[in-house]
Amino acid sequence: MTWVTLGRGRLFFVLLMLPAVVYVVAWRLAPALYTIWLSLTQYNIVYDAAPHLNRLENYRRILHDGSLSEALRLSVIFAVIATAVELAVGLGAAAFFDSDPPGRNLLLGIFLLPMIMAPVVVGTVWSALFDRTVGPIPYLFDVLHGPDVQWLGTPVTAMSGLIISDAWEWAPLAALLLFSAMQTIPREQHEAARADGASSWQLFSRIVLPQITGMLVVAGGLRLMDAFLELDKVIVMTGGGPGTSTQLVSMYIYKQAFQAYELGYASTVITVLLVLLAVVYAFYLRHYGRMLRLART
Amino acid sequence: MSGLHAPGREPAQTAPERVERPHRVEAAAASRVGLRKRRSWPHILGTAAILVWTLPAFLYLVLLSVKPERIMVERSALIFWPTFDRFRDVVVSDLGLPIWNSLLTSTVGALFAVGLASLAAVTFSFLNFKGKALLFLLMLLPRMFPPVTTLIPIQLAMKTLGLIDTRAALIILFTGFQIPLAIWIMRTYLDEIPRELAESAAIDGASLPSIVARIVLPLAGPGLLAAFILAFIFNWNEFLFPLIVTSFHAKTGSVAIMNFAGGYKKLQWGSLAVLGVVMTMPVILFVLAFRAALIRGFTTGALKG
Repeated sequence: MTWVTLGRGRLFFVLLMLPAVVYVVAWRLAPALYTIWLSLTQYNIVYDAAPHLNRLENYRRILHDGSLSEALRLSVIFAVIATAVELAVGLGAAAFFDSDPPGRNLLLGIFLLPMIMAPVVVGTVWSALFDRTVGPIPYLFDVLHGPDVQWLGTPVTAMSGLIISDAWEWAPLAALLLFSAMQTIPREQHEAARADGASSWQLFSRIVLPQITGMLVVAGGLRLMDAFLELDKVIVMTGGGPGTSTQLVSMYIYKQAFQAYELGYASTVITVLLVLLAVVYAFYLRHYGRMLRLART
Repeated sequence: MSGLHAPGREPAQTAPERVERPHRVEAAAASRVGLRKRRSWPHILGTAAILVWTLPAFLYLVLLSVKPERIMVERSALIFWPTFDRFRDVVVSDLGLPIWNSLLTSTVGALFAVGLASLAAVTFSFLNFKGKALLFLLMLLPRMFPPVTTLIPIQLAMKTLGLIDTRAALIILFTGFQIPLAIWIMRTYLDEIPRELAESAAIDGASLPSIVARIVLPLAGPGLLAAFILAFIFNWNEFLFPLIVTSFHAKTGSVAIMNFAGGYKKLQWGSLAVLGVVMTMPVILFVLAFRAALIRGFTTGALKG
């Protein structure tokens, strides 16, 4: 019925669609497939003229790669802590925005700024704040006679610094998603609870929170997967250092590919991660679909 | 697929209009019975918390950007006569080239992406065909996998094509990156156009260009704007791909920042801060001007698939 809507034939519509489809296939999907193929090859652009198959050698190498498992461990730590902080801050902010404060939309716009500005700039902002020569954070420690910390030059504090910057950048996303979930709760429920004498905390924990668990899972899952692969801020703030103490898995891949020129092996690590993510994604889709249906009823 | 995007989109689209009105009424009623006072303290505290969370970090970068070089390391100096020399340098000297590259490639890339995506979205919205849901999913698939997955082949491809360190390479990539999101945004807008309107116009003998000009464009115009702005911002913020396909002539603002800021040893804080502030300006402008469209687009985009 619909294809005659605009008085043109099918062919016309197919031609309209073709350029975008070809473009996405050529520049987005084909490269991903090529990465999977590269994962089966030995290809160091310094030594090898062309990629050649090496009988799953790369996959065997992954199993014995200590640096990789260390990078994975760091990525998990980073992703879990950062996501927890983002959800906590986001939940607080969302509850605040849901109470309809004066100037809400302007305030929300300001709050969203860190997530809309370039990740590189976020990294720069926090590098400056932590820097010992120009930064206010070491200065405050100095004034208050605290310890003299090389924030981004010491393993534990460098990781903390990355987590803080990530929380600053992405808590607004959690807030935005949770806020939009809270807005779907009918106002009558608030009023009824108020009329029955519920305190603000009771209203939040008994009425609001149970109805946004679905979105909480969604927001948490999104952030976990993105934070797990964080790279931009690592490059800008620490470069993976000191040593390899903030070398998250993407940084490891980046170094393998563009500093050691091991394109084949780097592709293998990417492929394995991709498969892992796909499994998590599929699992997550099923469950989160159900969570949302639960949240609605 | 539909189960995935519908829940995220609905609240974001309908929420602002839906809550505004009953709530105003409620607030008015509350002030009438004197309940308003009880609610204002949490609001003041919350507003303060939001501002303290967001602003000082960024404002410190602004402060550094106008701090004279000779007192740069005097951290107690928060009040001084600002210098705008470095901002002038962005306009007149080499420092400005990356910004200009960013501006040009992000704009052209966003225009191409929105153009191609809109054409495709028309088909996805108006035509029913076998495998449509599958093809649509295929178009959105790249949004689900992380950027590192295509980093290596893209660098190889650009080398083979001899496009390393050219603006053309960036435009090609930026167009490709934003097509999936733009298709999605445009389709959600096009789907809202009443079919009867377009159909009756076609039956009355209106030509396709006039249907597009009189019916489709006015209704989908806000979608075009939202798609363009988001595509521009994502291109403008892009870092990894410009880092690996450009080096000098075509490097973007974010790559230039990286050159100043590699690792944890930073030296030229003044120039670094200026670039950071300049890179954030368009973003602030867009946020202030198009809050509603952006928030809607981000909730759509954030849910990926």
